[in-house]
Amino acid sequence: MTEWQRKTPLEWLTYVNKEIEVLAAEKQNYKGWVLTVDPVSANILLANPLENGKVSVSGILGHAVQEVKILSEASDAMKEKLAHLFMPGESQTYSQ
Amino acid sequence: RFQALGPASLSSESTADLEQEQQSRVTLRERYLRSLSAMAGRPVRFTMYERVKVTALFGASDIDILNFQVSELQTPLGIQREALLRCSDIIAYSFEL
Repeated sequence: MTEWQRKTPLEWLTYVNKEIEVLAAEKQNYKGWVLTVDPVSANILLANPLENGKVSVSGILGHAVQEVKILSEASDAMKEKLAHLFMPGESQTYSQ
Repeated sequence: RFQALGPASLSSESTADLEQEQQSRVTLRERYLRSLSAMAGRPVRFTMYERVKVTALFGASDIDILNFQVSELQTPLGIQREALLRCSDIIAYSFEL
């Protein structure tokens, strides 16, 4: 089990709403805003707003995570956006 | 087969700490499960080990996130109508919302 997988839910929670950079297996690099970390698989879910109003969502598998670096903290507006991304009936709001 | 991560932190702690830990577990897990249901039926790009990249329509995941069920999996050998991807073979996945 990797260091990332051994963290506690409270520790993972501190990454939510932060902009992070993840170094994953085979030198794959990912950057984005943390939506959540699945407490079962340690998968990291990142959001990246696109220019067309859509949001690109990436999941990095917990077993493949090697290094996580926090870059910045989300503004209140961004936090709001992240919190409502998967709530039923609200995702359309952001594609307008 | 099902085992939540981070069980070590649950031993010898006060009820308040336990509650706090369970509460954060719930918050994190609910968001993740909602993301899976938002992903259902959408084209998802998977980055696998050995630099393999494939696209498929996401169907479902099992509860412990060990397998993803997908349809129309585009492989270098053609399209596989239904397939199970082992999560241990995947590095990352992405989709648009």
